[in-house]
Amino acid sequence: MITSLLSAPLVAQQTTPLDFARDVRPILSENCFQCHGPDDNARKAGLRLDRREGALADLGGHAAVIPGRPDKSELIARITHRDPSERMPQQKTGKQLTPEQIATLRRWIEEGAQWSEHWAFVPPQRPALPRVVNRSWPRNAIDHFVLARLEQRGTRPAPEADRSTWLRRVSFDLTGLPPSLAQIDAFLADRTPAAFERVVDALLASPRYGEHWARSWLDIARYADTDGYQYDRERTQWPWRDWVINAYNQNMPFDQFTVEQLGGDLLPNATVQQQAGTGFNRNHPITIEGGVIDEEYRTEYVIDRVVTTSTAWMGMTFLCARCHDHKYDPLSQREFYEFFAFFNQVPERGLQGFEPRIAMPSKEHDDAKLALATLEATVAKASATLRPQRLAWEKSLVAKRGADPWVVQDPAHPTASSGASLEALPDKSFLASGGDLGKETYELLIRTDLTNITAIRIECLTHKSLPHGGAGRASNSNFVLSGFEAAARLAGSTQAHIPLKLASAVADYSQRNYEIAKAIDGNPGTGWAVDGPTRKEDRVAVFTPTRPFGWEAGTELRVRLQQHFGTGHAIGRLRVSLSTQAGVGIQAGIADFAATEEAARTPTQRRSLTEAFMKQAAPPVVRDDYLRIPALRKNVAATNARRVRLMVMRDLATPRKTHVLERGEYHRKLAEVTAGTPAALPPMAKELPRNRLGLARWLVSGQHPLTARVAVNRYWQAFFDTGIVKTAENFGSQSEYPSHPVLLDWLATEFVGTDWDVKRMHKLITLSATYRQSSKVSRRDAVRDPANRWLARGPSRRLDAEEIRDQALMVSGLLIDKIGGKSVFPYHPKGLWMEINNRPGYSRPYPHQTTPDHLYRRSLYTFWKRTVPPPTMQAFDAPEREFCVVRRSSTNTPLQPFVLMHDPQFVEAARHLGARMMREGGKNNRQRIEMGFRLVTGRRPSPSERAILAGTVTRRLALYRQDSAAAARLLDVGVSKSGKPLDRAEHAAWTAVARLLINLSEAVTRG
Amino acid sequence: MTHPIDEARSLATRRQFLARGASCYGLGAAALHSLLTGEQTGTGEHRTTHVGGINEGLRGLPHAVPKARRVIYLFQSGAPSQMDLLDYKPSLEKLDGTELPASIRMGQRLTGMTSRQSKFTVTKSPWKFRQCGDAGIWLSDLLPWHQRIADHMCLVKTMHTEAINHDPAITFVQSGHQQPGRPCLGSWASYGLGSQAKDLPAFVVLLSKCTDNQAQPLYSRLWGSGFLPSNHQGVKLRGSGDPVLYLNDPTGESLRNRRTMLDDLARLNELHHGQVGDPEVQARIAAYEMAYRMQISVPGLLDFSDEPASTWELYGEDAKIPGTHAANCLLARRLAERDVRFIQLYHRGWDHHSNLPGRHPGIARQVDRGSAALVLDLLQRGLLDDTLVVWGGEFGRTVYAQGSRKKFGRDHHPRCFSVWMAGGGVRAGYQHGQTDDFCYNIAEDGVHVHDLNATILHLLGVNHERLVYRFQGRDYRLTDVHGKVVAPILA
Repeated sequence: MITSLLSAPLVAQQTTPLDFARDVRPILSENCFQCHGPDDNARKAGLRLDRREGALADLGGHAAVIPGRPDKSELIARITHRDPSERMPQQKTGKQLTPEQIATLRRWIEEGAQWSEHWAFVPPQRPALPRVVNRSWPRNAIDHFVLARLEQRGTRPAPEADRSTWLRRVSFDLTGLPPSLAQIDAFLADRTPAAFERVVDALLASPRYGEHWARSWLDIARYADTDGYQYDRERTQWPWRDWVINAYNQNMPFDQFTVEQLGGDLLPNATVQQQAGTGFNRNHPITIEGGVIDEEYRTEYVIDRVVTTSTAWMGMTFLCARCHDHKYDPLSQREFYEFFAFFNQVPERGLQGFEPRIAMPSKEHDDAKLALATLEATVAKASATLRPQRLAWEKSLVAKRGADPWVVQDPAHPTASSGASLEALPDKSFLASGGDLGKETYELLIRTDLTNITAIRIECLTHKSLPHGGAGRASNSNFVLSGFEAAARLAGSTQAHIPLKLASAVADYSQRNYEIAKAIDGNPGTGWAVDGPTRKEDRVAVFTPTRPFGWEAGTELRVRLQQHFGTGHAIGRLRVSLSTQAGVGIQAGIADFAATEEAARTPTQRRSLTEAFMKQAAPPVVRDDYLRIPALRKNVAATNARRVRLMVMRDLATPRKTHVLERGEYHRKLAEVTAGTPAALPPMAKELPRNRLGLARWLVSGQHPLTARVAVNRYWQAFFDTGIVKTAENFGSQSEYPSHPVLLDWLATEFVGTDWDVKRMHKLITLSATYRQSSKVSRRDAVRDPANRWLARGPSRRLDAEEIRDQALMVSGLLIDKIGGKSVFPYHPKGLWMEINNRPGYSRPYPHQTTPDHLYRRSLYTFWKRTVPPPTMQAFDAPEREFCVVRRSSTNTPLQPFVLMHDPQFVEAARHLGARMMREGGKNNRQRIEMGFRLVTGRRPSPSERAILAGTVTRRLALYRQDSAAAARLLDVGVSKSGKPLDRAEHAAWTAVARLLINLSEAVTRG
Repeated sequence: MTHPIDEARSLATRRQFLARGASCYGLGAAALHSLLTGEQTGTGEHRTTHVGGINEGLRGLPHAVPKARRVIYLFQSGAPSQMDLLDYKPSLEKLDGTELPASIRMGQRLTGMTSRQSKFTVTKSPWKFRQCGDAGIWLSDLLPWHQRIADHMCLVKTMHTEAINHDPAITFVQSGHQQPGRPCLGSWASYGLGSQAKDLPAFVVLLSKCTDNQAQPLYSRLWGSGFLPSNHQGVKLRGSGDPVLYLNDPTGESLRNRRTMLDDLARLNELHHGQVGDPEVQARIAAYEMAYRMQISVPGLLDFSDEPASTWELYGEDAKIPGTHAANCLLARRLAERDVRFIQLYHRGWDHHSNLPGRHPGIARQVDRGSAALVLDLLQRGLLDDTLVVWGGEFGRTVYAQGSRKKFGRDHHPRCFSVWMAGGGVRAGYQHGQTDDFCYNIAEDGVHVHDLNATILHLLGVNHERLVYRFQGRDYRLTDVHGKVVAPILA
């Protein structure tokens, strides 16, 4: 129908020259490009019709198009061929040219076959305002463009809408909520010319604005609270949702909105919020299905990002080029994978690919950190004051210290299995260097005259020659002692060494899961490690045999240190001591530590000493403070663990290689490619990095032909229900030609020229005369322009699912207007989640809640489970959120009345609306009816409408007076209380009226 | 309390009055005509007509005289094991216990669950098969009731698919694409052909209650409309709670009072329509009337008390328990009687990676009798001729054992699996295709998922290449750019 509206006048008015982009190219694209278009592999007969040189090319004595000579042009011959088997387009394509289309093509060739590129790939030029006859009508530039087209068509714009209609319209379009009675009264009373602007400014400044505008962005960003595939488990991406709300409320310019979502993590010194923006490209579904092939799904995620990003910012259908060159648009398969390369750098997996994530700041964690810091500062201050006491205490420790229970040993000929050399140092330790940095075993032979030996101590000591000055030989300073073995024999004997049974092993520190006991558990796969990467410290371990040993005539002790972990995870500097004291262990060290010079003490030693001092010698106040520190530390860790983890984008340090994938299949790699943008679009500036940040900056450079057009077209769609380009998700060759192409270019250039100021653009549109028109459909309109593409009347639309529910909450007074936070669980039918997914550990029943902060929040906060979307939302055309959606459908189904009549959410809202009418409406029925009617429609009822509703009140009152049980059933729906007691029958009757009001067609639309 | 149906009957006159009244109001004939015939935009995006949920389908469809007016699809989610149920393989007696030769496996990719297995031991079915009916189709003793309908079955033993995991495979079978986003088969049927029932939707979904908590989940996208207008998504009829979501008034309002309310509502809406002239208002009025009719018809649909004793003899006592496979098969027959276009049933729990010998009998018992009873019931009521019944899962299972031989399981197998159909224009008592001796590859006459879907549409009188929807500049169809109607299985 639109085609005929667009082209009918053209065929009739032979005087207007054809416009290739509007009149000809769409015919060629639809009917010819599939075989004669950009796809090199699918091209037939060597003919290419998406380029002028192709159309004019000599194909051996003939050409498809010979300008000025339609009768010599093969194209005309073939599309009019008598023989159906020769006629183009071929029958099997199912396409057929109309006589009008053939006439257009003929005329186009006659007129010289002028050519232009597809309009959407040519950057918009700033147009001049067109002349209009009715110069008093336009309120701003938009109106000039709209009116000029109307005047060309010989029509006039509609009169202004009622003020109350306009107010309801603009309130929903900017905030997704109806105006309050106070807002209506104020606006109706304000007869100054600036009244409209004041309303718009107030709505734009309302936090409700950000919530409403975020909501359609969530559809585009396929945002949800679950993972989507298979068991569809829960995730926590809501901080990203709040990021979007904030961005709109702060009027973040669209270029920044773009940069932070596509490449915020790559900005220099990216803030947490900037990183959070990149959650946009992690909102895609993720699988946990056990059997999947990892790379297959990782590839799908990257493709999802390509598709979503290209649709959202460029209105391009990139997906078509996944398996082959695009059939209609100049986008090769290779270019698809060059674009893919931008998004292919995330350090992620296909199966359970939730990383990378960041921890979002939380108040409780910040509070916990502050409490800890405060306490630590107090203790530090007190410790400084106590320093003289501390020094005295340490001195006394040293004085009281008995003889050192350890005798340092001097092993002869230590050997290393790796071939490392072990150099003896003056302190009797020896230092490893060289050798093959793989597995290692040290063997030491110790000749001693001690008897009754009770323990063997090894010290693992740091040294500046070791990696990072630590105690281990691995490049990260760690070591793993897999096995400690000791064996002894009488000195000089040639008998085998007798293995010592070890009773225990203790260490001053062990890494988690690498406890010292694992050095003597007989399992070479486990061992003792010391967190070398973070702790460059001396370490001590003491091994106690089950029985003391040592021969009177001298003992030869053999110690073997197995270090099987590999990659050089061996001790770097080692010293061995023996003790003959019973019960000797590590704890004996405190006095030793005190004896060590302060600067030479390790952090562990320092900590041990402080702890002992605090416990033994500090004043109780300080001691208690000190002892509270661990609990606060634990709290810091616990609150940290509770911080919400948000999936964000990151790039690998070493780029992942990207290949063209044959038929788009993850494992069929063809040529390697690097990140780049399609050749048909303006090139990326040289100075831009070839990563997502560069890509984002390229999109918002102001030179890009699509970004601004696509964005303003989506805004237009939100205000006028249909975009200037109806196919808001596709601006390519197969898109619908814009209804107002010049206006689109003006808006796009205006948007860029005002630094991508979103609120300003919304203000411009809502204050236009075009937007202010009445939406009343005359019989003539219904026939001439049923879809209202020419805008000779105002835009009416059905409200979206969220708006319908939010309105009910607002007019009933139940709405809780808190912004952001965790998703909530309002009323929901019982059993819905479990009936399709009931696996323990993978699914749970819907967590029904009874508190207002769950039941009455705006719908964009409702928990979104992709495999079972909220049914109230689904009934009114909300998408599942499994993929990017730019336009929702708008349907009428019998399921919608069911929701409005029977969902407890709406029945309960009606109860509160009924109570409001009784309490606030006034004494008589007429006033009460008027109030309720105004709340849900924004206008006063007509006398006939009032009469019908008055009949309802009377009938229902009689009914509920007779049947108190029916009244009770109606008033019992929903968990909320009704406030101060009302007459039950009367309340039920008004509730029934309120239900009727909520179900009005007018209540679910805005005129 | 008055029975809803009686109450409705007494109100019928009033409704007729209202319906006549509505046509006197408002909208010009031309605009109404455009609403009724659908709209075609410049980009070729079709919009079907929906005057208040009465779904008229597309102009020009069906393309040919349909063999089937409606489809009942008994989907067996999780993947039934073909060599234990429908694909008789005496050759496995000899091969049992041997290693699956590389020449058979041909490097085919395996799931992450068995790809690291060191042995792939061919394991025969532990169940006996017997030759059934005049047609002599061999069927497993796991399906004794199926053995009685052999002569009505059209058994396709050579189905194959592309995905090897549940989520993508179920999504593929139902929507022709492994990733979310495409409309499912039932939505396509609703979009193209519209509704035949005046008080029920074109596309109804039945979920069996699942007792196996290891079972694979379902997803609402499986009956979703993808890029088609969302009124073509399947409407769930549930075994517990509201049979249709929000069908029942939580306040228990009588139909008489509801009728009064709807009359008031219609009058107010008509007044509004007079003011704004928007045809959508009338569509909404009609939607409320359709909802009202559903409120009356659905309880009657679900109330099995009018079934004769012979029904229970046929379906068994299980059919009296709402949510069982048998009850849903009976419900499917009642929906077919009411001329619902596409009835999609889902039964979960076939995914037996371990202890298949212990677990397959249980689930076979759950579905065997109801499935067969449905076919016999449709037959005796004269409905089988124009009702197509389809029975199958998302892929097959491997001939090699997963895990220990004693309590073996079978892994996912996309290379061959079995599906049967009955009625609605398919050849009865016919077997299509041959798998190899290992029941691993197709020996002859493979049928791809796209081919099956093309054939189902064909039986509905729809050319699968011509039922398209313009989305993102491209004409999409259920079968992508593939699919061939499987001629030999047509009656």
